[in-house]
Amino acid sequence: MKDWIEILLRSAALFIVSLIAIRIMGKKHPAKMTPFHFVNYIVIAIIASLISVRVITNLTFGFIALGVWIILALALDYLSLKSKWVHDWINGKETILIKQGKVMEENLSQVRLTGEELLRELRSKNIFNLADVEFAVMESTGDINILLKSDKKPVTPYDLGKKVAPQSETQTVILDGNVLNEPLSTLGLNRQWLNMQLENMGISLDNVFIGQVDSSGDLYVDLFDDSIQVPQPKVKEMLYANLEKTQADLMAFALETEDEYAKIMYSHNADKLKKVMESLEPYLLR
Amino acid sequence: MTVSSQVKQTLATLKGAQSTLKIYATQTQNEETKLVYEEAVEKTADIIRDLEKRVQILEFQEPQYKGF
Repeated sequence: MKDWIEILLRSAALFIVSLIAIRIMGKKHPAKMTPFHFVNYIVIAIIASLISVRVITNLTFGFIALGVWIILALALDYLSLKSKWVHDWINGKETILIKQGKVMEENLSQVRLTGEELLRELRSKNIFNLADVEFAVMESTGDINILLKSDKKPVTPYDLGKKVAPQSETQTVILDGNVLNEPLSTLGLNRQWLNMQLENMGISLDNVFIGQVDSSGDLYVDLFDDSIQVPQPKVKEMLYANLEKTQADLMAFALETEDEYAKIMYSHNADKLKKVMESLEPYLLR
Repeated sequence: MTVSSQVKQTLATLKGAQSTLKIYATQTQNEETKLVYEEAVEKTADIIRDLEKRVQILEFQEPQYKGF
């Protein structure tokens, strides 16, 4: 057999073998791997390339070495799923760097991190003030995660005591002028509905680059022709404004009328509508 | 504008708002949101009923302005 044919066949075979092996070994991102996993992958890569260019001439030996590195890695992954002890032993445990706002110097030197490096890591997470940090931990992958002091945390609606409408994911229903059927049916809508919406906006399907429907069923479109102004959905704001107007009218009627019974009816209904508006506000205005 | 036509106008606005609410109640996927919309539809229906009764009384009092 000619040399170049052999290298061609070896490379092609190893290409497929390593592809399958890496697919089986999981989809962890290289940057999030523990050092041991990283070494494991590199060894597999090196063995594969050595076999491929015939530095390791004996195919059997080469594949045995490759197989051991792949199978042992898989076995260890499986064991670490089953046993916490194995998991900690392979991946290492996380190290607490800052506790109750105080830097743990011994732990810092244990993971070989200098004060400057710690500060740099904090700065890269937009924390310039050590006093803002309540707790920081170095994960087994080397990432540093930080819990801020409760008064320095970003404000959430919960903190403000505000109720917000639940929001589920938006579905993309038009891409490059083509209707995507599956996301449409996920929302329980169909092409007729979509055509009607587009007709209401006065645009043709060919002109739509991206069209998305949010959880409440409103369609947002981005056009190829950017000079066309698309009316964005304002139905909810309109609805709220209409309810507000009705409520104001009811209050006015209550003041104007001289019939005692009607007065009570009007003001009672005005209150009722006010309550309806309050319950709808998070859904219509946000 | 007479009183009865004012009330009728308000009634029409409210009916329009209620139908939009109904559309949202059927369109929304989220169960919790659906419930809120449905409750709002029911409450507006009560108000609409009261207003319709009032319109009838007003029409009885001002028969010359009867009809929409």
